[in-house]
Amino acid sequence: MAATRAESRAPEIFATMEYGPAPESHACALAWLDTQDRCLGHYVSGKWLKPENRKSVPCQDPVTGEGLASCLQAQAEDVAAAVEAARAALESWSGLPGASRAKHLTRLAKMIQKHQRLLWTLESLVTGRAVREVRDRDVPLAQQLLQYHAVQAHIQEEALAGWEPMGVIGLILPPTFSFLEMMWRICPALAVGCTVVVLAPPASLTPLLLAQLAGELGQFPGILNVLSGPAALALALAAQPGVQKVAFCGAIEGGLRLLIQESVWDEAMRRLQARMARLRVGRGLDGAVDMGARGAAARELAQRYEQEALSQGAQVFQAGDVPLDSPFFPPTLVSELPPSSPCAQAEVPWPLVLASPFRTAKEALAVANGTPRGGGASVWSERLGQALELGYGLRVGTVWINAHGLRDPAVPAGGCKESGSSWHGGLDGLYEYLRPPGTPPRRPCHSQDLNYDTFGLAVPSALPAGPETGPSPAPPYGLFVGGRFQAPGARSSRPIRDAQGNLHGYVAEGGAKDIRVAVEAAHQAAPGWVGQSPGARAALLWALAAALECREPALASRLQRHGVQPKAAQAEVELSVRRLRAWGARAQAQSHSLQVAELRGPVLRLREPLGVLAIVCPDECPLLAFVSLLAPALAHGNTVVVVPSETCPIPALEVCQDMASSLPAGLVNVVTGDRDHLTRCLALHQDVQALWYFGSAQGSQFAEWASAGNLKPVWAKGGCPQAWDQEAGGAGPELELRAARTKALWLPMGD
Amino acid sequence: MSPRNPGTELDLSWISKVQVNQPAVLRRAQQIQARRTVKKEWQAAWLLKAVTFIDLTTLSGDDTYSNIQRLCYKAKYPIRKDLLEALNMHDKGITTAAVCVYPARVCDAVKALQVASCHIPVASVATGFPAGQTHLKTRLEEIKLAVEDGAMEIDVVINRTLVLTGQWEGSDFIKTSTGKETVNATFPVAIVMLRAIRDFFWKTGNKVGFKPAGGIRSAKDSLAWLSLIKEELGDEWLKPELFRIGASALLSDIERQIYHHVTGRYAAYHDLPMC
Repeated sequence: MAATRAESRAPEIFATMEYGPAPESHACALAWLDTQDRCLGHYVSGKWLKPENRKSVPCQDPVTGEGLASCLQAQAEDVAAAVEAARAALESWSGLPGASRAKHLTRLAKMIQKHQRLLWTLESLVTGRAVREVRDRDVPLAQQLLQYHAVQAHIQEEALAGWEPMGVIGLILPPTFSFLEMMWRICPALAVGCTVVVLAPPASLTPLLLAQLAGELGQFPGILNVLSGPAALALALAAQPGVQKVAFCGAIEGGLRLLIQESVWDEAMRRLQARMARLRVGRGLDGAVDMGARGAAARELAQRYEQEALSQGAQVFQAGDVPLDSPFFPPTLVSELPPSSPCAQAEVPWPLVLASPFRTAKEALAVANGTPRGGGASVWSERLGQALELGYGLRVGTVWINAHGLRDPAVPAGGCKESGSSWHGGLDGLYEYLRPPGTPPRRPCHSQDLNYDTFGLAVPSALPAGPETGPSPAPPYGLFVGGRFQAPGARSSRPIRDAQGNLHGYVAEGGAKDIRVAVEAAHQAAPGWVGQSPGARAALLWALAAALECREPALASRLQRHGVQPKAAQAEVELSVRRLRAWGARAQAQSHSLQVAELRGPVLRLREPLGVLAIVCPDECPLLAFVSLLAPALAHGNTVVVVPSETCPIPALEVCQDMASSLPAGLVNVVTGDRDHLTRCLALHQDVQALWYFGSAQGSQFAEWASAGNLKPVWAKGGCPQAWDQEAGGAGPELELRAARTKALWLPMGD
Repeated sequence: MSPRNPGTELDLSWISKVQVNQPAVLRRAQQIQARRTVKKEWQAAWLLKAVTFIDLTTLSGDDTYSNIQRLCYKAKYPIRKDLLEALNMHDKGITTAAVCVYPARVCDAVKALQVASCHIPVASVATGFPAGQTHLKTRLEEIKLAVEDGAMEIDVVINRTLVLTGQWEGSDFIKTSTGKETVNATFPVAIVMLRAIRDFFWKTGNKVGFKPAGGIRSAKDSLAWLSLIKEELGDEWLKPELFRIGASALLSDIERQIYHHVTGRYAAYHDLPMC
């Protein structure tokens, strides 16, 4: 006892009332690593795979730098083996009744429950994240995800009748991520019957553990396969035949931007700093730590940003005294940064917060929407009306009112703009891994020969091509832009020939400048159209349908000139009219509310317009395809720039005459001309917010490549024909899904 | 007691501006219990600190001199001496912050403490405790009598009729509840009260004390209360002048935990003196 008394630090602690270390034992994580002799391979088809002669990368404790294990780096042949395993598993897995898949996912949830300590200590040990965050939030949410998706699998046959699993999914994880991000993606994929190959960053361990837990369930070992490897290997995974879809995500945890109204700036900053000062930074495996370390790279990034911000005139507040040479970086609040300085424009790294003042809510909305990012945002206000106004106006995937960062498996989470266009959670998350009824699996159509620099660059010159034999009255000449027919910028025309090869007439040859003008016109029309009620939109679509009905004889004769049989021509016009009416009716009732566990109050699942949507029509069904694509786009509140059929644009121009009188100017803009050239202009346009492409396989490849510039969502069919006259192809659920994006709006209640 | 709160002009705009984000408060309340654990020696030292905040209370209709005397003795010697010695804390004068009794028992408590030559203050609940629904005249008279009997601190039940109709009262210390309600000290309510204290401090520079009462029975609870104060108001509030815990059963659980920390064994019921 005497010895204890002399050593007791109780008096000192009693005086200072400091917090002490609360270490969480990670013995089980180390024991798990020992089962692999501290050398981790890949987990493929229910077995550890440790191929010979592979580079290995050390996995280190981000705080102590202590080596934990070495990870073998996969090569292309390992990717092939993993994809083969996933393909083999796909047959039995996707063929199961949903109820059986549900059972299996529930077993996996229980497996995670049984080994949760191992899971949370390993995750915290390797990533440096605070253990209580992993333990109290991530692990329970991972189980909820599995349970939610088990239920979805159980009811799949009735709820998602006709939809087919895509097949093998490749998932590419970023250098820093939480295992939860992997769960958000694999759960829906597995639930609907896909199998997954995960490419984890070089030294990450939790994905391997999860794969092992799934593999040890015995049945269906190949549904989840995990490889560790360099980012460059992603190309091999994407190019691997049999991989139907590649999902990827960027670094998950960034810094934050805070917009504070001037009138409460001082008060808000004071409270923020007071609260930040109480945050505890330390080893993630400490139970009383708020923030861990994220390794040297993240720290350097933060440090560099801080230094640059200081040099650009910013004020920096840092909480706590974190020693300079420690692996930690303190929570940092940056303010007074001039809005035009480079740092104010750049992405804010973790764990920094950039605060800037605003005057009015309108200004705040403009600033918030004025960035290329659009993941999530929270609005803090006690004025319900204003909070909702901002919530609806923010161009992001998720908005929380007076809360932040809540997640639930039933609520879709995604983004817009450069934060991507895929969804996790809810029904939207399931559709990501499903093929619509009646569409064949995607064929590999990647061509090495396509020259991205020259595709669609030049426009063939058009010369006088003989006497015009078109009908009279001839449709007005020009591009339909901003509500009227205008001469093309290039002042040249292209000849259109009928089925016999006779010159039918000339249409305007649109070019880059015309696309620019058309996109501007569409942007101008957007606020007005978005503001219309679904009922008003429906009324306009019905008015257009009525006008088309009157024009039926003229349209049918145009189609006949292009080789369509009289009966079929008449049917095409009639069906087009029906499509307009049908989408008008569907414009109503898009959104619904969800109930979730973590929140008292509803979560609204809103369906919002994409914005300015570019549509490149196919050659076939020149009228029906044009209308079938246009109608859902308009019904969902988009404004559009359409490139009609290249060979037969005249029916579309006929319809434009009615649109000139019945629709607001700029709502629909039709640009005729060389499809490849116009596709190039649209795909490379940063302010086009989505692109639907129904041309050639090459064009699809180009559209997807070029659209990566602003990560606009692209719907390209790879040259596959679509059955426009069928309900599934011409008015199916895929159109509805593609025509709008989802936003989740969290509305907490409280008295 | 800390210097009296000199008060301030009543500015109702402060009150009308107060907004409580209830879901956020509930989340914060949940977090604070999970995020701030103290272990080993820290836990022992924190528990001893908690002892010094306790208003060791008996508010029973059948209180008599004998159990008041036992309570006062326990207040003076809250933790077994050998346990304190093991922690090198035997010479720190650890006692509870006060003993808290009904007005009619103040005399007994003062006498018992005198006999034990102990200078712990006697606190008395007064003013028609626990409902406070008596006339102002008798309420004031009750306070006067308790003070005459030697009470150093008075826990006043405010007239909630006045509060609910927007007529406010000021104080040196605010208490979550009487301890006799169906729901007493809860973390969400405490967070709101602590932030009001902080706001008042930021506006006027005056520190108002805080006393949760009722339902705080376990050592673990008391640690959570300490970290709540530390997080929301800071270390300066972690002293008996500004923070009290109204409790009766809490002390024995703390003593049990200290016993376990020192000996490595869980105590039997008879190992520790009752209070």
